[in-house]
Amino acid sequence: MGETNKQVPVTVLTGFLGAGKTTLLNRILTEQHGKKYAVIVNEFGEQGIDNDLVVDADEEVFEMNNGCICCTVRGDLIRILSGLMKRADKLDAIIVETTGLADPAPVAQTFFVDQDVADRTKLDAIVTVADAVHLSTQLSDHHEAEEQVAFADVVLLNKIDLVDESRLDAVKERIKKINPFAKIIHTTKCGVSLSEILNLDAFNLKRILDTEPDFLTSDHDHEHDDDVTSLSFVSDTPLDMEKFQDWFSKLLQTKGQDILRTKGILDFTGENDRYVFQGVHMLMDASPMGKWPEGKERNSRLVFIGRNLESMNLKEGFENCKSA
Amino acid sequence: MKADSNKFPELNKTKFENRGKEFKLGIPVTNAITIGNSIAVGFGDGTVRIFRSGQISEPIKAHSGVVLSISKDGEDILTGGDDGRFLKISLDGEIKEIANFGSRWVDHVTAYNGSLVCTSGNIVYLWMPNKKEPKLLEHESTIGGVAFDSKGRRLAVSRYGGVTLWKKDYSNKWSSSNLIWKGSHNKVIFSTDDRFLVTSMQENQLHFWRLKDKTDSFMSGYGAKVKSFAFVYDSKFLVTSGSNEAICWPFDGNGPEGRKPICLPYVGNKLVTFVEPFPNENAIFTGLSDGSVFLSEIEKSTNTIIIRSFTESEVTTIAVTEDCSSILIGDIGGNILWTSIWDEEEK
Repeated sequence: MGETNKQVPVTVLTGFLGAGKTTLLNRILTEQHGKKYAVIVNEFGEQGIDNDLVVDADEEVFEMNNGCICCTVRGDLIRILSGLMKRADKLDAIIVETTGLADPAPVAQTFFVDQDVADRTKLDAIVTVADAVHLSTQLSDHHEAEEQVAFADVVLLNKIDLVDESRLDAVKERIKKINPFAKIIHTTKCGVSLSEILNLDAFNLKRILDTEPDFLTSDHDHEHDDDVTSLSFVSDTPLDMEKFQDWFSKLLQTKGQDILRTKGILDFTGENDRYVFQGVHMLMDASPMGKWPEGKERNSRLVFIGRNLESMNLKEGFENCKSA
Repeated sequence: MKADSNKFPELNKTKFENRGKEFKLGIPVTNAITIGNSIAVGFGDGTVRIFRSGQISEPIKAHSGVVLSISKDGEDILTGGDDGRFLKISLDGEIKEIANFGSRWVDHVTAYNGSLVCTSGNIVYLWMPNKKEPKLLEHESTIGGVAFDSKGRRLAVSRYGGVTLWKKDYSNKWSSSNLIWKGSHNKVIFSTDDRFLVTSMQENQLHFWRLKDKTDSFMSGYGAKVKSFAFVYDSKFLVTSGSNEAICWPFDGNGPEGRKPICLPYVGNKLVTFVEPFPNENAIFTGLSDGSVFLSEIEKSTNTIIIRSFTESEVTTIAVTEDCSSILIGDIGGNILWTSIWDEEEK
C-alpha cells in the first residue's frame, strides 16, 4: 500500500444515534492538542479551533462497476481525501465521522479499493462510540448498530455512570461476543485521551501480531440467524497452503456479504514465515510477516465476525485445510 | 563514490531547461489556466501566481486551503477552493468573491461568455451574465465535473450513474436529459467539434457518448485512474494519462469503437500523469510521475523530444501560452519551469 511514512492516518468514527459521537468530535476539535487534524463531518456545523479543519461531506456509497456487490466505496471520501492530499501543509491525522445509521464497510473498503487513497492515506482504526444504557436494545433492533460494533477496533463504551455494574458487564459481554478484538474503553461524556483513539495503526498487519488478539476457540450458543457473532479456530497442525487458499477464496466469494471481518495468523507446511491477513467482506490484505519467533509454538489462528456463520461449515472447512 | 548513493546522478539539463526559468517554490502545484500570454497557476496553499514572459507575480492569497479548480472568464481567473469560496481574480491580483459555501468545497468552476459556473456538492450554481443571483441545478449525487460545449448551449454535468446534459433554449431556459452509465463519473469534456462527450471514471477507464445518436462505449486497459485527458485541436485524437504510455484514441469518423489507440512510450516507463495537446497540431506534451515532460507527434512516435528532465515529483500541470511561444510545467513538489518552445532560429 505505498510508502507508509508518507501516509496520513485516517480514523473512522462510528456510533449509533445519541451515543455521544458529537461530544467526542467536539472534544477533538476543542482540545489543545497542537496537531493539525482534518475532521470530515456530516451536517455538524461546528468550527474547529486549534488549527483544525472541518470539512462537510455527504455520505455517498458507490458501487464499483465490477459487478461485485460487496465492492461499495465512499465516493465523497475519495474526493475529499484526494483534495486534502494536495494541501501544502501536512495533516497529522484525518477523522471521518459517519452518520448514526451508517454501515462502516464502504468506508473501510475505500482504503482497499482506491489506489490514490491507499497511496497517500491509511485506515488507522475504526472507533465506535456506544451508549452503555441503550446499546443492548440497539443491537437487537438495528443491523447498523451490530455492524458498527463488529467493525470496531475500539469501542468507546460511553455513559457508564448511568448503568450499574451488572448491566455494564452484560453490555461488555455482548460486545465481546460480536467482536472479540475490539478494545473496550469505559467513558463518561467521551472523556478519553486522544492517544487512545488516534494513531493506533490497527489495520497494519504487524499489529495483528503485536496485539495477539483473543483467538480462543469459541463455541457460541446458537443465536438468531442474523445476529452478528464471531467464531475462531486454532490449529497446531500446519495448514496446506493450496487447500487453504482454495477454501478461503471460495468462502469469501460466496459468503463475503455475511462475513464482515476476518483476521488470522497462519502456519503453512514448508513455509518458514508467518502469514498474516485481514479482510473486510470480500477484500483482503495478506502478507508473509517474517519468521516464527524461536521457542514459540507455531500454530494457525483464524477469526470470523459475521452473520449466519453457523451455516458456513467453517470448522469443517478449516479442518480440511490441515496438512495430511 | 559518495555515501549518499540513493540520490539520482545529476543529469544534463535539457536545452529547454537551460534557456528557461526554474522556480522552486516547494508548494504543490494543483492547476493552471492560460489567459492570453499569461499563465495563472493555483497552489496547494490556496495562492495563485501569475507567470508572464518568465516573470512570476507576487502570490495572490486567494483561498485558505487548496485551489481545487481553475478556469477563466475573459481576462479574469476563476477559482474554487476547499475554503468553500468561488472567486474571480483579475490579472492584477484583485479578488472578488462570487460565492462562499463555508465548509462545503467548491470542486469545479467553468465559464462561457460571462456565464459563470461553480459546483459544490450536488449543485451546479450558474450565474447568467449580469445576474446577481445564481440559478441552481440540482443533481442526485456529488458532481464529478462540468463542461460547456463550444457554443455554451449545453452544460454537461458528470456524477454517479452518468452525465446530466443541460440544454439552454433560445429563451434561456435550461432543460436536462440523462446519459446513463453505471458507476462514478469524474471529469467530463466535450470534443472540440461537440460531437462526443467523454468522462473519466472511478474505475481505470473512460466512457464516451456519441451525441447525435447517444451511442456509448468505454475505453479501458489503464493501469491507473485517468485523471488528465483532452482532445487535440480538431478532435482527431483524445489524448489520455493513466498508463505508462500516452494513449491516443482516434475520434475522427464514428469514434474509437473497434479501433486501436496509438500508444506513445517514454523512457523510464513511468506513469503518465498529465497530457496537454499542442495547439493546432496532432502533438502532445506528456508529463510523467517522475516530473519529466516530453513533446511527441501522435502519428510519428519517433518524433519525441524531452522538454524537462525528472524532478522526482509528478507533473500536475502543463500550460501553453496563447501565442504558442512558451510553456509552463508544474509538479506536486512545487517545481515550475517556464521556457520558450522554439529555438531562436525557429521563430
